[in-house]
Amino acid sequence: MGILVNSKTKILIQGITGREASMVTRHMLAYGTPVVAGVTPGRGGQNVEGVPVYDTVKEACLKHEINAALIYVPPAAVYEAVLEIVANGIKLIVIITENIPQHDVMKCLRVAKEAGCRIIGPNTVGIINPQERIKMGAIGGDNVERCFVPGCVGVISRSGGMTAETAHMVKMAGLGVSTAIGIGGDPMIGSTPVDLLALFEKDPDTRAVVMFGEPGTTYEEDAAEFITAGGFTKPLIAFIAGRFTEDMPEGTVFGHAGAIIEGGKGKPSTKMRLLREAGAFVAENYDDIITYLRELKLN
Amino acid sequence: MGRMLENHSKLLLKENGIPVPDFRVASSPEEAAQIQSELGCPVVLKALVPVGKRGKAGAVKFAGSPEEARERAAELLGMTVRFFPVEKVLVEEKLNIAQELFVSIAVDKMRKGPVMLVSTAGGMDIEEVAAKYKDKLKIIEVDPLAGLPEYKCREIWSELGIKGVPLREAAACMFRLYQIFCRYDATILEVNPLVITKEGKVIAAASLMAIDDAAMYRHPELKNYVQIGSERAWRPLTELEKQVVAVNEADPYRGTARYTEMEGGDIGFMCGGGGGSLLCYDALLSYGGRPANYTEFGGNPPERKVYGLVSAILSKPGVKGLLVDANITNNTQVDLVAQGIVRALHDQKIDPRTFPVVVRLIGVNNDAGREILEQSGIEYCGEEISMSMAAKRMVDKMREFYKD
Repeated sequence: MGILVNSKTKILIQGITGREASMVTRHMLAYGTPVVAGVTPGRGGQNVEGVPVYDTVKEACLKHEINAALIYVPPAAVYEAVLEIVANGIKLIVIITENIPQHDVMKCLRVAKEAGCRIIGPNTVGIINPQERIKMGAIGGDNVERCFVPGCVGVISRSGGMTAETAHMVKMAGLGVSTAIGIGGDPMIGSTPVDLLALFEKDPDTRAVVMFGEPGTTYEEDAAEFITAGGFTKPLIAFIAGRFTEDMPEGTVFGHAGAIIEGGKGKPSTKMRLLREAGAFVAENYDDIITYLRELKLN
Repeated sequence: MGRMLENHSKLLLKENGIPVPDFRVASSPEEAAQIQSELGCPVVLKALVPVGKRGKAGAVKFAGSPEEARERAAELLGMTVRFFPVEKVLVEEKLNIAQELFVSIAVDKMRKGPVMLVSTAGGMDIEEVAAKYKDKLKIIEVDPLAGLPEYKCREIWSELGIKGVPLREAAACMFRLYQIFCRYDATILEVNPLVITKEGKVIAAASLMAIDDAAMYRHPELKNYVQIGSERAWRPLTELEKQVVAVNEADPYRGTARYTEMEGGDIGFMCGGGGGSLLCYDALLSYGGRPANYTEFGGNPPERKVYGLVSAILSKPGVKGLLVDANITNNTQVDLVAQGIVRALHDQKIDPRTFPVVVRLIGVNNDAGREILEQSGIEYCGEEISMSMAAKRMVDKMREFYKD
């Protein structure tokens, strides 16, 4: 099981012929993930690592069964790519691209919402389900098992790099990952921690979730509210990075574009307090995640 | 977010059909006096700094004669408004105000769409309006796909009690402001106040605008108006910060290198990843370390980008050690990063045997990277040492090397 991606997932990669995308295609295939088609306009008929390339998503969908799309196109082409994927009825879209103009992001998210499509990202490292050996994106690189081994712990992270590091913590605790999701470092993203906690709640293979949070946005505050409302009843272990930013002048970005405290909102200390009050295990030190996981005795 | 100065945003408004007061820019008290006498009317003088709430900071003044304009401009030019020294002053005609309105449009990140705030209580902070004059405030969530039709703008002002010619003009302004907001990829566009003059004209008396950095590629016309990266500093960029921006821009599509100079500190801080660097900075502080800067790097940077970044970090006066600490990466070539670090240390004639350096880097080719670092006498930590523990190791090492 796991969430979002599983043994039925069949993937199309938009922008498959790019440098980064071809490397990721190779790593995904090597891991056993079914990448069934790629799209790069004008490059139809070629192949990348044996995956056929088409000029349009429509053509790819006529020739293959596809239910998930991974977007690797440059920022200026993302909105068009989303329109094309949505128009062809694909319901899961992972947007890897970083630095997409905010006006385009607003439109992408609205178009997808109206069509009932789920977007992960933008600016995400991807999703991985180690049990089914499905990964979408660079997540895990070519050395997946270093961090991601199968298990019962869900991982949600606002940071791509910290998705791997957090999965590594899970591994150090003697456990493994059901599904790990880099939700994206931007302030505007398609799927928030609350959206994903709702999915983890229903997944029988997930027995606890670890969440890596950052300053800015209200995603962690919303997660606390969601837990209090009974939406997520499994153990949640949370770590919020960037406490030092509270002592800096407001309105300054540190790290990801989303990591900005504005109008008194988005302070790590507030996030930690609310999560703790909601019953989550909040790690003061990142390494405490291991201690909390061991104490849950999930083995 | 690229913040714009008011003269630039006003120029954009004017070019796009929004009436603005007659304005000029003065760099000296004499120029301000000259402009006042040319305009031949009472004037407003405003510090040209990329921050809001200038009125409250005392950075807006009035003058009725060239002499007064000279004096007020001299006062403003000596000021620093929220870390920004005032180098120029906007001098513009003072309007005959009958009523002050407020229009603000922003990308609301939590609602994931544009949100407009419109009020007939202009001229004050929107926070104050929201608290005291709820009946004079409307919040409009705009559908980013459908946009905002002009009739909707008329409805809104009409419901707020505006009538006659000003109703039509205020609605036209609001409609055009939304179009400008979209056309230039603004993240915020605020007109406060939008003035109805005693003559019945609607004029944008003050404007505040910021452009999305990520959209600058499609706005070459704004290149000289927008300070890119201004959301990553709370003050004008320092020389070292500018140096790193140049290093980063030299290879715009390969890897990231960001540098924020902190006050004091003795540990050069070079940590990896947006989230990882936040974690490391907290960890370093928690063990009693004193970082001299905040840095974020990653995304498989080329050797010369690493070299440029490390060189900048090391050249800040007072830096007596270097911590390189990053999360396990999927794609960063550790050997390239190691080469950049070693070359930068070498060129600055720093010997890691007398200058503490701790490196925790795990990714592609990390065995080769480890060898390069260890051969140069640099302490390397692998995945068995957590990010926090590497930060602690750095603090311990500083104490060992510099026994206070």
